Amino acid sequence: MSTSDQDDGKRRIRLFKGLYLTPLQLVLAVAGILALFLVPEIEGVSTRLSLTTIHQGILWGMAAVGLNLLLRHTELVSFGHAAFFGAGAYGGAIVVNFLGVDAGLVVLFGGVTLALFFSLLIGWLVAEYRDIYFALLTLAFGQVLFAIALGWGTLGQDEGLFLRAGGSFTGDPPTLFALELGLRQYRILLYYLTIVLLVASLLVMWRLINSPFGNALDAIGQDRTRARFIGIPVKRYVWAAFVVSGVYGGIAGALYGMRRLQVTPEGTLEVFRSGEILFMAILGGFQTLLGPVIGGIVLRWLLENARFVTEHFELLTGLVLIFVVFFMPQGILGSLPKIAAGTRKRARNPGMVGGDLSTLGTMFADAARDAARTIKILLFGVK
Amino acid sequence: MLEARSLVKEFGQLRATDDVSVRLGDTENEMVFIVGPNGAGKSTLVNLLTGRLEPDEGAVILHEETAEGTVERDITDMRPDKRVKEGLVRSFQIVHVFEEMTVRENIRTAALSNHGLMRSVWSLRDEHEAVEADVAALLEQFRLKDVADEKAEALPHGDRKLLDVAMSFALDPEYLLLDEPTSGVGAAEKEYVIETIVEASQEQNVTTVTIEHDMDIVKTYADRMIALVEGSVYREGDPNLLETDKDLRRVLLGVSDDE
Repeated sequence: MSTSDQDDGKRRIRLFKGLYLTPLQLVLAVAGILALFLVPEIEGVSTRLSLTTIHQGILWGMAAVGLNLLLRHTELVSFGHAAFFGAGAYGGAIVVNFLGVDAGLVVLFGGVTLALFFSLLIGWLVAEYRDIYFALLTLAFGQVLFAIALGWGTLGQDEGLFLRAGGSFTGDPPTLFALELGLRQYRILLYYLTIVLLVASLLVMWRLINSPFGNALDAIGQDRTRARFIGIPVKRYVWAAFVVSGVYGGIAGALYGMRRLQVTPEGTLEVFRSGEILFMAILGGFQTLLGPVIGGIVLRWLLENARFVTEHFELLTGLVLIFVVFFMPQGILGSLPKIAAGTRKRARNPGMVGGDLSTLGTMFADAARDAARTIKILLFGVK
Repeated sequence: MLEARSLVKEFGQLRATDDVSVRLGDTENEMVFIVGPNGAGKSTLVNLLTGRLEPDEGAVILHEETAEGTVERDITDMRPDKRVKEGLVRSFQIVHVFEEMTVRENIRTAALSNHGLMRSVWSLRDEHEAVEADVAALLEQFRLKDVADEKAEALPHGDRKLLDVAMSFALDPEYLLLDEPTSGVGAAEKEYVIETIVEASQEQNVTTVTIEHDMDIVKTYADRMIALVEGSVYREGDPNLLETDKDLRRVLLGVSDDE
């Protein structure tokens, strides 16, 4: 680690080549990772802070990080990302049930392999399409995988498969690093494995989007014709991005299956899961790298806890979606800098609050315009 | 040398390109201008040569000098991005740049592609010295240095046109096809745009084929002129024909010298 001074005069600490953080960012990053490691410890503090919810939120968020590669850079809206999450989960379950292997890392590898297979296949078929056609095709392929899992007896239909020894309801969970663990220990070790993989996958994604290849994806997203006429083989590059995106979903899905110890079509492959992954990216802030993870944890937490507050919890999540679209189109993480700057100013000059009210009207108009755009993305898949 | 051989392209009933055969770059860094009234098939010809459109009939041929003499390569079915790698580069009548990128990033994107670095996933976009040197040189040459960190979408029209052309030069072209690089550019800037193109073409030894409506520009800068009318080559040769050929003047300018 070394330090360097950048153009703005702020001190930056070099994590590795190209990744510079201000001291504040570094402290936040370390605190964030530390907080994630401490989650199992503080679980007892509140029933609302369950390890299960946070773990699952992180996993869905990881899938959303993958989806975001397409959304943010190639500007393609996938409505079928649960296909790869589900393929990851089912791939792991197939390893346990039909190969009789219960080594956790092999299960994970099996899941990723199946997701890789489907993302190679589906990616090739959709890579030349754009806008609403891309959205509809990904939706349709997602539905095909859902229908197969639901209809095929071998895969257990709506009950799905167990990731326990012998594929039975009562079997032991898979081993982790050759350790046969009790359920509680298994879950905590799996959680730490997830955190390590999350950090690694974020760093890899960071390298990828800042590379020339990431540059090519940006070019494709902004003007496909021009991209082609500066020599970028557009179809192959979109395909590659799609596969990377699918593999992220696959890793997350395989870990999710291992966490739940059971995979079902409804839990991993249904079209609503695809919608949730997309929503997580937007909720957390799809113009940021970390946003989708935040979105994943927040939405998962909402889905879990809203049901204790009201039986119409789906309505509540719907309202959250509407609120985000109208007032925070940049998502949670994307809006933080604005909120922080605004709060600091008002602390210095309380008179500004009066001015705020008068600008609220114009703000609302702006928000409505941005909202129309985001709704268009959500509904029609076009920008 | 780049050759269009008996190219035909139809859009429904319209024969946009009707048996067009032309040879481009017969002489060293030739400056060719394509002229013709609206709807004469000028853009269609450029689209056929660069692979944006597929011809119904005919072929696009690259003549390459090798140790064994000149070799003909049929590139009619080659994808546009591969043609770029063969040195066949174009710009568009309507500016196509990456709107959310800065001027520098736009040129860098083209330069990365030219250096064969686009597939690199584990380097940083801005750390390749040869690429950055190219970018700096082009910013200088096209006088875009002052707006290097502006987003493309925020540029005035003339600078956008220049950026489009600068990106084409970043691809180290052998043949550069420019579809109306001066359209919509103010009279004062027009000359500057075309001067820059001519200079860069000579410096980089490029065969440049430019669609142009301003006959003064053609007369001043063309080594050779190709006039298209209703999809066919109507006249081809010395740009002085624009002065001396009465039929050509009538077709192009709608004026009759007898009046």
